[in-house]
Amino acid sequence: MAGTEAGRWRDLGAYRARGLPGWVALAEGLDRMVTGIESPVDTARGLAARLRYLTASDAGYEAMDRAGIHVRPRTLIAWLAEEQTPSKANLARLDAAYWQLRRRNTVADLKRRLNNRGRGTRIEIDPVDQSQVERRHQRDLQTRSINVRGGVWDRAVDAWIDGNTDELDAIWDEIISSGLGTDWDAYTHVSSVGWAA
Amino acid sequence: MTDPSQGLFDAIDSLLDAVDNNTLLPAPAERVRLREAAGLTEAAVSQALGVRTQSIQAWEAGRAEPKGQRLEAYRKLLDGLTHRFPAPADTPSATSAGEPQQPDAALVVAPVVPELVAPAFVAPQAAQAARTAWRVDGLAVQGEPGPCIRCGVVTPHRSTDGRPLHAGALCQPPAAPRAPQPTADTQPTAAPTPAPAPATLAPASPVPAPVPTRPQRRAKSAARAQAETHALITRAVHEELERAEGDTGAALKALIRRAIPDVMTLFEETRATARYQFTAYPALPDILKKPSKREPDQIWEARPAFHHPDFSLKLPGSVQVTALDANAAYLSALKCWLPIGKLEHITGADGVDPKRSGVHLITPAPWRHPHLPNPLGDRDTDGALWVTDATLRLLSRLAGPKYGLTSAPEIHESWTSGATENFLDALRKILTAAREKAIEEDDTVTTEYVKAMYSKFVSTMGESIHNRDVIRPDWMHIIHSQAYANLWGKAYKAHQAGLDVVAMMGTDELHVTGDWRQVFAEGRGVAQMKIKHGDAKASGEYTLGKVTR
Repeated sequence: MAGTEAGRWRDLGAYRARGLPGWVALAEGLDRMVTGIESPVDTARGLAARLRYLTASDAGYEAMDRAGIHVRPRTLIAWLAEEQTPSKANLARLDAAYWQLRRRNTVADLKRRLNNRGRGTRIEIDPVDQSQVERRHQRDLQTRSINVRGGVWDRAVDAWIDGNTDELDAIWDEIISSGLGTDWDAYTHVSSVGWAA
Repeated sequence: MTDPSQGLFDAIDSLLDAVDNNTLLPAPAERVRLREAAGLTEAAVSQALGVRTQSIQAWEAGRAEPKGQRLEAYRKLLDGLTHRFPAPADTPSATSAGEPQQPDAALVVAPVVPELVAPAFVAPQAAQAARTAWRVDGLAVQGEPGPCIRCGVVTPHRSTDGRPLHAGALCQPPAAPRAPQPTADTQPTAAPTPAPAPATLAPASPVPAPVPTRPQRRAKSAARAQAETHALITRAVHEELERAEGDTGAALKALIRRAIPDVMTLFEETRATARYQFTAYPALPDILKKPSKREPDQIWEARPAFHHPDFSLKLPGSVQVTALDANAAYLSALKCWLPIGKLEHITGADGVDPKRSGVHLITPAPWRHPHLPNPLGDRDTDGALWVTDATLRLLSRLAGPKYGLTSAPEIHESWTSGATENFLDALRKILTAAREKAIEEDDTVTTEYVKAMYSKFVSTMGESIHNRDVIRPDWMHIIHSQAYANLWGKAYKAHQAGLDVVAMMGTDELHVTGDWRQVFAEGRGVAQMKIKHGDAKASGEYTLGKVTR
């Protein structure tokens, strides 16, 4: 990974260009693909739906455990029966546990959608925002579009679910350096990345 | 040898110029025949001439005549078509005589002003009248090779009066209709001698082979592309009708389900040769982000909800009101200035530019007109708000000298990008044509399918899980506001004609007093209005009372 640092556009913002690291945009794009319960956790409907999801499987109990919800079974039953509402802190933990489990459960689906039977998914990369950069320091950057396929998505989704930022960064590097030609380093930072899958 | 004929053609040109004002175009029916014979659509012709399709229809119906440059261009087109597709009545005599089947431009003009044209056209007329001399054994008479009196290319064959003339139809351009029967059997024997002739035929011929001009070629390729994309719509309908085995209800359900991917495919098709690369997933400013799925972002689309305070349903009265409905409002609104790239932030009024579009933070001037709805819709609060470019354009127009209805809004900041008004125009035209045709043929399945396509295209182009191909909430807001601005324009038109605007609501609803048919055409076309029927009390034609003060 250290080796891939070589050609990259580092100190972003020296001339007031604005953007975010490509791997962050990639992870945000994956986040956007996950859908779930829309009602917020502080509504009765949203809470009931989350509790039902979390208590439907062993993985749900493990998720609650990881999120730091350590309550007696009696309390949990009272929550489920809507006799008692969780404290504010526990509500936040329940929400976190729900989304964590939900993400974990959608991994296979995300990989299937992104791999698209081996055809991969075309991503659009919007370059950094240079509107504040002086004309003479501006790079000539276009919106680019490349198809990403061949196992890259599997690794990206795995790194995303594990929260492995170094691996995501390496994957982003690989995507741009293999698909964008010589000015790939200009896309180390981007203003957005998008795709349809 | 081309020089004399070149001079001849210059003479024709100057003569044509001289008689232009007297020369009439072919009769309206003939114009239709020529266009249809050439397989050109009205759209293709209108595009080539740079006029609207309705103008072509008017010219072909004899309701109107082209003027100025358009007249010249249209006459040129019709002349060219007359060349290639002579009127059926002319064809038999030409064919039987073994003469070229294309009446010369000179001949079309000649009868109109014979005294002017006669001297200059002795030669060509003779050429037209001259006939190939045939020997008794059926072969063409040959002599010293010389320039053919008809086309100028060297030929050994002779005419009946002894001058060089290609036998039969040999002077005709290759694409022309087949030679008449009698010459066919003489070709093999005649062919060896004039062998070099075909090679020189094209460059030397004063009547060049018909190469379409660039606008013609463009119009043709545009028409072809349009026909292909139209075929996508009809094919989808056929597929689903077949799959549903003729059950139109089930087919329509299936079509509506596939409307979003289908319209995105159509959109891709129309972008095939497009000039701009648009950004489908731009970074969005916070004002365009929805805080949650249920809450809206900060853009005010200026949706109207206007009820004239002087009129009331509760009061007894006899004011005749008609509830009108603008047809396919969102389809028409696809013609609007849309930002192509990522929106960029500009403070102050510098972000406002006719060639840019986006959203603007403005403080509008107060609206004091007693009878017209506020173009900003009905707001509960005052102060600054984010509006789209479509709304701002309307406000600026109304502040201009032509209207003078309000003063210009104060602009604080903008998020804009370079824009074009033609961005969705190809898609709009295809869908409008399909809709029009479907309505004409009373084809409800296609009508509903087209409706689902354009309405879902607009409603899902923002952040929607149903359409991930493009995430442009800015476009969605601009198209919505454009529809409202278009409706405001209709209200203004009614007001100018002396009707009272009683209500203006939503995207397409306009309630007016009096005889609205004098102002709007009635029908289902995109430029027409229809009466809105519904269960509500204030629908169709109804009466209400006027508040007396």
